[in-house]
Amino acid sequence: MKLENTKAQMRKGVLELCILSIIAEKEAYPSDIIGKLKEAELIVVEGTLYPLLTRLKNAGLLHYNWKESRSGPPRKYYHLTDEGQSFLGELQNTWETLVNAVGQTTKNIKS
Amino acid sequence: MNKILNINLGGYPFTIDDDAYQHLSGYLNTLRKHFSSSEGSEEITSDIEARMAELLVERLDNRQIVSMPDIEGVIDIMGKPEDFGAEGFSEPASAAQGEEEYQTGKRLFRDTENKVVGGVCSGLSAYFGIEDPIWMRVAFVVAFFTIGFSLLIYIILLFIVPEAKTASDRLAMKGKKVNIKNIAKQIEDEIDNFGETISNLGNDFSGQESKKKILKALPPAEHEML
Repeated sequence: MKLENTKAQMRKGVLELCILSIIAEKEAYPSDIIGKLKEAELIVVEGTLYPLLTRLKNAGLLHYNWKESRSGPPRKYYHLTDEGQSFLGELQNTWETLVNAVGQTTKNIKS
Repeated sequence: MNKILNINLGGYPFTIDDDAYQHLSGYLNTLRKHFSSSEGSEEITSDIEARMAELLVERLDNRQIVSMPDIEGVIDIMGKPEDFGAEGFSEPASAAQGEEEYQTGKRLFRDTENKVVGGVCSGLSAYFGIEDPIWMRVAFVVAFFTIGFSLLIYIILLFIVPEAKTASDRLAMKGKKVNIKNIAKQIEDEIDNFGETISNLGNDFSGQESKKKILKALPPAEHEML
């Protein structure tokens, strides 16, 4: 049993929720998303994000527009589709239930 | 002195040292290979290229030429495919794992691991699903005294029936499917048997007699170690 693996699995589970939440707040471009995820220590390497974004986009939860940038080539700006909105809603509900459940089952552990 | 190249990475132009370029293109190839099985692989790699270009621009500041440490630094930030494989990206289960099996049907082998003479009777027993080869041996011996030619049949079988040499032979002998799981089980069983033999011998390890038995039980390669 590797601690790092378990930690990675835990992060993986909430990563989609976090990415969708970041994009829901404001239209975002991958480097913005990376900045926030890194700040929260949710991802270790940046390469993790790109396959996830593409997967969410292919699943119809995200959509992007090309926007000009002042310093370089155009950038992809992602926003949620309607389907993405309701998906995020579901995830948030599940997350709240989970937080309660985990809180209840682990409250007796004193560290 | 170093040769330099001009490249276009994610829409940005770069002047790059030759060795740094080789390193970068090696990395991008690994990425492409890693994502080749997933949907939108082209898009993923071009997004990653664009991000790497951005990071390089930040790193370069006002320098002109991209060099090895720059590429190494950027690759550290992006991570190796195996690093982000564990997080967020679930690879499609490869078909090679689990379901791969060769249907061979039942085949007749000589079971030389349970042999008395040449493993013909034990092989026949395995083929017909008889638990204890003793009955097949009894039948052969009885036939020898009554009909007479069972010895001839035995000798012919001894020559024409192949010996079960590998784990998959041994499975085919019993009519079991030859797949990874069964082979693994077969090998485990054999190792257990081997361990038992050794510990039995270890109990009465005294004198030359038992040493000879060990030599017989061990595969040839291990003789020299004793």
